[in-house]
Amino acid sequence: MSRAQVAFAVALAAVTLVVTAVGLYVPAKARRGGTTYKGTAGQWAFYAHRVSGFLVFAFLLLHIVDVSLVRWPSLYDDVHRLYGNVLLRLFEVGLLFALLFHAFNGLRIIAVDFFPGAVAKERRLLGAAVGLTVAAGVPAAVVIMWPFVAGR
Amino acid sequence: MTAPSRAKPTQAKPTTERRGFEAWSWLFMRLSGLALVFLALLHFAITHVLNDVVETDYRFVAARWDNPLWQLFDWLLLALALLHGANGARWVVEDNVRRPGAQAAAKAVVYVLSAALLAFGTFTIVTFTPR
Repeated sequence: MSRAQVAFAVALAAVTLVVTAVGLYVPAKARRGGTTYKGTAGQWAFYAHRVSGFLVFAFLLLHIVDVSLVRWPSLYDDVHRLYGNVLLRLFEVGLLFALLFHAFNGLRIIAVDFFPGAVAKERRLLGAAVGLTVAAGVPAAVVIMWPFVAGR
Repeated sequence: MTAPSRAKPTQAKPTTERRGFEAWSWLFMRLSGLALVFLALLHFAITHVLNDVVETDYRFVAARWDNPLWQLFDWLLLALALLHGANGARWVVEDNVRRPGAQAAAKAVVYVLSAALLAFGTFTIVTFTPR
């Protein structure tokens, strides 16, 4: 691996670590606090929304840097080649599910906030958000992992 | 069961000015979120599903940014995603880092990183010249 590739891999590992730490800390803290944690589906949707959003944000910070390497084409291509690595592909699948859940759950939040009638259908809306995440995520995940599965 | 989103924050905040900011921030998250559903999912679909990620090399980016509309698309995605993410990170910090000094420091990290990368990303898109 080139030095630039090592730097990118280390930065991505740091992003993954920070997001994992936040993902474990946020619900654990709420549970210790005792007052807000009720363990209901809506509560988990709230945490999943935050953690998925935080993952996308943390990756975005790094992604702006790696895309900005286009100023130096060979350096960009060198670092970018790592995206085809199986570990990176697994990360991309995680990012995909975070993105999809955050998008569909976000639409649910907008629906509930702007249309008072939607509150009555809250649980069904959450089910739809999770369902759409899985329905769109699984085929896309297969496409992302396919080059690895096909042994290329 | 009520919506597990951040409640419309119009009652709890102390000053009128602060209340105004939080209400705008609440609205911004919904409007930018709506735009990002299309921008971010389309971006991901193009770079990971319709094309394999290894195909999105320098030549791919250069060909795309040859069209100013794709530059605008990518800049909108950059700016909205960063602002939406920075404001979301601010909420996460405010709810989880309660010590005033630590909270201010954590927010400073979020703001400085976001502002620097918004400037850097904008610079990258605007000054791009294919080789």
